[in-house]
Amino acid sequence: MIEVEGVDFYYGKSKALHNISLKIPAKQVTAFIGPSGCGKSTLLRCFNRMNDLIDGARIGAGELRIQGVNIYDPQVDVIALRRQVGMVFQKSNPFPKSIYQNVSYGLELQGIADKKRLDAAVEKSLRGAALWDEVKDRLHSSALGLSGGQQQRLCIARAIAVEPSVILMDEPCSALDPIATSKVEELIQELKKDYTIVIVTHSMQQAGRCSDLTAFFYIGKLIEVDATQKIFTQPANQQTEDYITGRFG
Amino acid sequence: MQHSIGSHPFTTPPIGAARTEKNAFQVFRIATYCILLAATLIFGIIFSKGAQTIFVREFPFVNVAFLTQSPETLHVFEHEGQPHELGDREFRAYMEKRGNPSVKEESYVYSAGGIFPCIVGTFFLVVGSMTIALVVGISAAVFLNEYSRGGPVVELLRLAILNLAGVPSIVFGLFGFGLFVLFAPVFAAAPEAGHVSLPLGFCYLNFTGWGVSLLSGWFTLAFMVLPVVITASEESLKAVPKGFRDGSLALGATQWEAIRTNVLPYALPGILTSSILGIARVAGETAPIMFTAAYVVRDRLPWQVDKAVDVLFQGVMALPYHIYVVSSKIPQNEYTERVQFGTAFVFLAVVLSIALSSVILRNRMRARYRW
Amino acid sequence: MSVYWEQHLNDIREELLMMSGLTERSLSQSVRALLERDDALADLVEAEDSEIDELEKRIDGKVITYISTHGPMAKDCRFLITASKIASELERIADQATTIARRSRDLNKNAPLNSMAGIPVMAQEVQAMLRQSIRAFVERETSLALEVIGRDKLVDAEYKEAASEVEAAIMADPATTARELHLLTVAKALERAGDHATSIAEEVFYLYKGEDIRHSKIKGRLPA
Repeated sequence: MIEVEGVDFYYGKSKALHNISLKIPAKQVTAFIGPSGCGKSTLLRCFNRMNDLIDGARIGAGELRIQGVNIYDPQVDVIALRRQVGMVFQKSNPFPKSIYQNVSYGLELQGIADKKRLDAAVEKSLRGAALWDEVKDRLHSSALGLSGGQQQRLCIARAIAVEPSVILMDEPCSALDPIATSKVEELIQELKKDYTIVIVTHSMQQAGRCSDLTAFFYIGKLIEVDATQKIFTQPANQQTEDYITGRFG
Repeated sequence: MQHSIGSHPFTTPPIGAARTEKNAFQVFRIATYCILLAATLIFGIIFSKGAQTIFVREFPFVNVAFLTQSPETLHVFEHEGQPHELGDREFRAYMEKRGNPSVKEESYVYSAGGIFPCIVGTFFLVVGSMTIALVVGISAAVFLNEYSRGGPVVELLRLAILNLAGVPSIVFGLFGFGLFVLFAPVFAAAPEAGHVSLPLGFCYLNFTGWGVSLLSGWFTLAFMVLPVVITASEESLKAVPKGFRDGSLALGATQWEAIRTNVLPYALPGILTSSILGIARVAGETAPIMFTAAYVVRDRLPWQVDKAVDVLFQGVMALPYHIYVVSSKIPQNEYTERVQFGTAFVFLAVVLSIALSSVILRNRMRARYRW
Repeated sequence: MSVYWEQHLNDIREELLMMSGLTERSLSQSVRALLERDDALADLVEAEDSEIDELEKRIDGKVITYISTHGPMAKDCRFLITASKIASELERIADQATTIARRSRDLNKNAPLNSMAGIPVMAQEVQAMLRQSIRAFVERETSLALEVIGRDKLVDAEYKEAASEVEAAIMADPATTARELHLLTVAKALERAGDHATSIAEEVFYLYKGEDIRHSKIKGRLPA
């Protein structure tokens, strides 16, 4: 689904990613782990070109392909790309609108105004995010009245409303309590039936619980990528083992 | 260690610092009261003296004539042993009725009639210039805050805006005079001799200036208040969390869509607050409008024109200018004082009411776009 | 955690039960092969041992994976560790069954002996112990586990009797020595199987009560 080939990435003059190559399979959960500043969030934000918003951020070498298309090709429409590759942020950022409007926002951007269609899409997305039962009676109340875990699930609903093929999650549970976290993790296991998911996480336990494939990054380099089972029981690389056993980072 | 409550470390305050604090507190308090005193004096005097002109004892308790008529010359005379004070028209009518007897009369300009044209003029000036200032200011703020990427050109822009804030209002008046009154472009059928003319195919663009008019006044005042609006708008835009923009962009919005649907609505309450400051300044400045929009006296109201578009090219009377004229251009006496304070009273009332409506609008928007 | 986690634990539970079923069958088949002098059955037991070995490796693989990726706590953690140990014990019981099967083939080559040195009774007892310890696991009944531990004493006593019987038989008729020694090996295998079943019961007790009763002088409750 996503192919990274020899990618270098720069913020201005400083090199953030060194020659990254990996393949992310479709309809599975891939986790990026590594200590702070290792480049995992940078790589994630390359997939939907959110890095374009940062001055001086650019790809130095290599290619990044999603579904076979080089997404940094000048002919690629960034807006269309971002509809296919959705993102859930670390700090849940529900818009200060109603729950309904939050979920329908992405569709309204595309010009869809038919109320029936929007209603159906909103319900489908909220169900998909395991939030429908909790909010179906207050769709038009402010989204800011939800708890932290519910807000994050709302952001997930918002992302899947535009029917992307990939969902990127940048530390989605770091601001949530354990129960909300486990709800979101269970949701991720459900979502992977329909979407390709890439999740950046600081918590190794989360990577262990949620992911099928794990990639370990360190100072901008990809150290090891393998099935989660293998990485956590018998990593090939000593650095990976040291990180996982907590001996550094 | 055991202490009795008197000698415990928690209960014995350090003497030096506490006394300094008390003194500082007193100083601050006195300073605040001075401000309060000054404000009370200003408003108090204006209200008490102005009230004499504005309010009357019988229904409708407001001097309607003062608010709805144009200024007239006051004639003070004695006739048949009775002192009379009559405005121009009434005086003439009075004289005609009695066959124009010769009386010893003194006339005082602008001391009778009302200030209706001034109210209208100020109102138009404020609404027009604030609209232009808000449109240009918000656009500039959006550009500076959301689109610009820093660099020397943008820094120069910011410097220019900052300097604009420090320009004296009389200089604005001269600037407006030179650019808008004398040189602004006008559509015309034929080129004008002695002026720059641009042929446009179906007509000509003659740089003959707009003359003393609402248009000139609007643009002059707008430029004067622009720095305030831009700064406040930028602050309001900055206050909107970055997460709103990121969230919109990640869903496939263009940058303008993200700003229009998810940033501007939430920044608007703050922007409107800044406009309140702008309104007070725009309404009260005399120097910028002296050469560009205001007449000392004008018979016709702005909408009394042949063609609708000509409204833009009408000059007006304005409240602050009228106060200036009545206070310094004509000899002072008890009669002129009435008009001065009455005008000042009305002026304050107009500014207050515009500011109040802005506050109400802002509160409504805040309730609707709460975040 | 989540429904997926419960599913993982259930998978291991099911594999453990499957393994215990196969082990019980191996044990009973091996004893039958001995008592009925059935070589074909003995061959079957030996062949099926590899399946049981595979199950042990599968269960252990799953256990290490789930422990390292999920970091389970409390009962979940005890369950996983216990499952690994029970699998190990079951595998050893199956190995004992294989031993019995081999010896029975050896015995079948020669004439049958007069007495089986109390092996049938021992075999019954050990099979019952295995069944009961697995029942204790399935039904979460720690009292059953304690009973199993008590029964081990009986099996130990029966082994001693069997050993004396064999000794006497050899002294009575030295020609039967080879066959009697096979019999003793079978009796030893059964006694060991009994010990392994007892270990399973101790692990089950630890799983559900959190108390480690291995190597202690607990008498256990003898069956009525």
